[in-house]
Amino acid sequence: MAHPQIAVFARLAKNGAKPVRKVEGQGSLLGRTMHGIAYDPIHDEFTVPQQFGQAILTYRGGADGEEPPIRVLQGPHSQLDAPEHLDVDPVHNEIFVPTRDGAVLVFPRDGRGDVAPIRVLRGPATMLGGDAPIAVDPVNNLLLVGGTAGRGETRLLIFDRTDSGNAKPKAVIGGPQSRLYAFGGPFAVYPAKGEILVSVRGPGPYAELSSDEAYVGVWSIHDNGDVPPKWTIGGPHGILRMPRGIALDVKNKNMLVSDKRLNAVLTFHFPEIF
Amino acid sequence: MNRRVAIPAGLCLILWLGLTTNFPRGARLISYDAFPSENGASDDGEACERPAPPSGLSLLASELPLRNILLQARLAAQTQDASQRKPERMIRDPYAAYSAVAVDPAHDEVVLTDENLFNIWVYDRGVKTSPGKSSEAKRIIGGLNTKIEFQCGLYIDPGNGDIYAVNNDTIDTLVVFSRKAVGDVAPDRELHTPHGTFGIAVDEEKQELFLTVQHDNAIVVYNKSAKGTEAPLRVVQGDDTGLADPHGMALDTTRNLLYVTNHGSSHQVRAKESAGGRRRGGSPSFPLDRDDAVPGSGKIGPPSITVYAKDARGNARPLRTIQGPKTQMNWPTGITLDEDHNQIYVANDGGNSVLVFDASAQGDVEPIRIVKGPASLISNPTGIFLDKKNNELWVTNFGNHTSAVYSPEANGDVAPLRVVRSAPPNQPVPGLGNPHPLAYDSRREQVLVPN
Repeated sequence: MAHPQIAVFARLAKNGAKPVRKVEGQGSLLGRTMHGIAYDPIHDEFTVPQQFGQAILTYRGGADGEEPPIRVLQGPHSQLDAPEHLDVDPVHNEIFVPTRDGAVLVFPRDGRGDVAPIRVLRGPATMLGGDAPIAVDPVNNLLLVGGTAGRGETRLLIFDRTDSGNAKPKAVIGGPQSRLYAFGGPFAVYPAKGEILVSVRGPGPYAELSSDEAYVGVWSIHDNGDVPPKWTIGGPHGILRMPRGIALDVKNKNMLVSDKRLNAVLTFHFPEIF
Repeated sequence: MNRRVAIPAGLCLILWLGLTTNFPRGARLISYDAFPSENGASDDGEACERPAPPSGLSLLASELPLRNILLQARLAAQTQDASQRKPERMIRDPYAAYSAVAVDPAHDEVVLTDENLFNIWVYDRGVKTSPGKSSEAKRIIGGLNTKIEFQCGLYIDPGNGDIYAVNNDTIDTLVVFSRKAVGDVAPDRELHTPHGTFGIAVDEEKQELFLTVQHDNAIVVYNKSAKGTEAPLRVVQGDDTGLADPHGMALDTTRNLLYVTNHGSSHQVRAKESAGGRRRGGSPSFPLDRDDAVPGSGKIGPPSITVYAKDARGNARPLRTIQGPKTQMNWPTGITLDEDHNQIYVANDGGNSVLVFDASAQGDVEPIRIVKGPASLISNPTGIFLDKKNNELWVTNFGNHTSAVYSPEANGDVAPLRVVRSAPPNQPVPGLGNPHPLAYDSRREQVLVPN
């Protein structure tokens, strides 16, 4: 896309709404391929990857305009290769970043500069494929990572939050009954009820662009194996075409989903999951 | 006994149960963010189908011993279907967001790519737009068969009017349409490219097609007629090239030079066996890609214009670099060249301006002209094209639904000569372009959407 930015909209924004603020421009240090963003409500800051510069950028929560990050994590000790996904654990103060070669690097949340990871999850037993969506559940002490064994072999790997080294996932969700065709983007987790919300791309002749089979599925952190979703919303055969990221507005019991083909952000009222 | 405690930082609430490990006094965290509203009501608009909540599935962390029983129950149950539920609301721009522009002087048409509705729009070059209305297009190419999505680069063949449109994301395909193409038609020709191509330039004399590759800090050069999985003729990539998130390109075929705009971020690559045998590009002739990135080598530097010999290959050093605070460059994106006057025009996205430089400039130099200001309408310009035949400068404004036309000599806060607009004036612009992750700021009740 031609113009990188982080647009910030009012909760009730709709149609062609103007953002209430935008972070953009050279001074912001932003780049493209931000496939992860985490807002930390405890410390009031948000964090994104900067893939081309191999950096993790953290901004104050109300950042606006060409505002620089308050912290930049970057350098040879970081081992960052092409960060595009991430999540932040605001309770235990950690940042989780998958790598291209199938590892998860864990950094201190307040790390700045050339900081080495405090833990690394890597090895054949992990089943990690790299370049995957990731979410941390600091309440139930879980780490959820997408497995990328190829289309049709998509798996959702559940680890203990503090796992490191060649740890085996404690649960693996995937298989033909699971209907996990391919991940569309980052997961959302609702720890209080142990729910995992996953955007699922669909197959079809235009699968790289759009699919009528796409949907958001809800699984449980207690699921394991070839388990179908508890819920499907927005599809299959619904409004979604290429769902990407998911965020939760817990207070109002809403689920927000971005859709690449619609080039839109949709808000679903979804009280059943809260 | 449960109790809620507001943490000092503000809105976030933590609920402690009289249990287990990680927290003081044997308490246990079950949430760190706001709780659902007590009455369960939503003020978010029209109600939709809301099936009854599934019973027995609401696990608190303290109920883990029940998990196996409930899991068996879940496996036996049907998936709850909310597939047809309608969203309460949707942020979506109903109008085109122009990104790249090119003029077909032979047919007196201007062509614009659109990264919101995923179309290519063709207008009469001199289209008259009624006040308060949008401009009327002659032809629109768009739909799933066209493979058009985030087309950032555009080239019109001066001989036959063919439209070359570069996809920057989502599908690694350069699409080529005849000038008469209309509607949801398959491209006349497709070329599989590395991921993240942006700018395009063509050397008609040598029949060579140049593309920048953002993700790999590279330039790939193909036969102009290349199609399918045909390999590039040569690649410019390496530590010495100065390529750093390259975007637009302009060719000077008189002086045999190639100009490239760079946003400034880069990392090193080294050939290695990719993880699991994966190579994203799938072609050994492609540049080294993200799987070959050297961990921890990344830099976020200042923007630049790098200048190469037209036939550069490999780890070629730039002949010159324009860079520094005096340049006022801020995410320089599109670039076009006036060979006769030896000037380059830059769509300066982050600076909401058009910068004009002496094409022979080097180092930290000031622009010789700047078009910027409210009268100019320039807002997040990403595409730029100099129409030498008609002596007009075209600029696409991602930030305000317009493509505007100026005299090439324009300087300062100059109103455009005319405007092509996809929307009535002053419509708000969400500016979404491939929104991917989302975050919800529960303190401010706002949604964060990166492009």
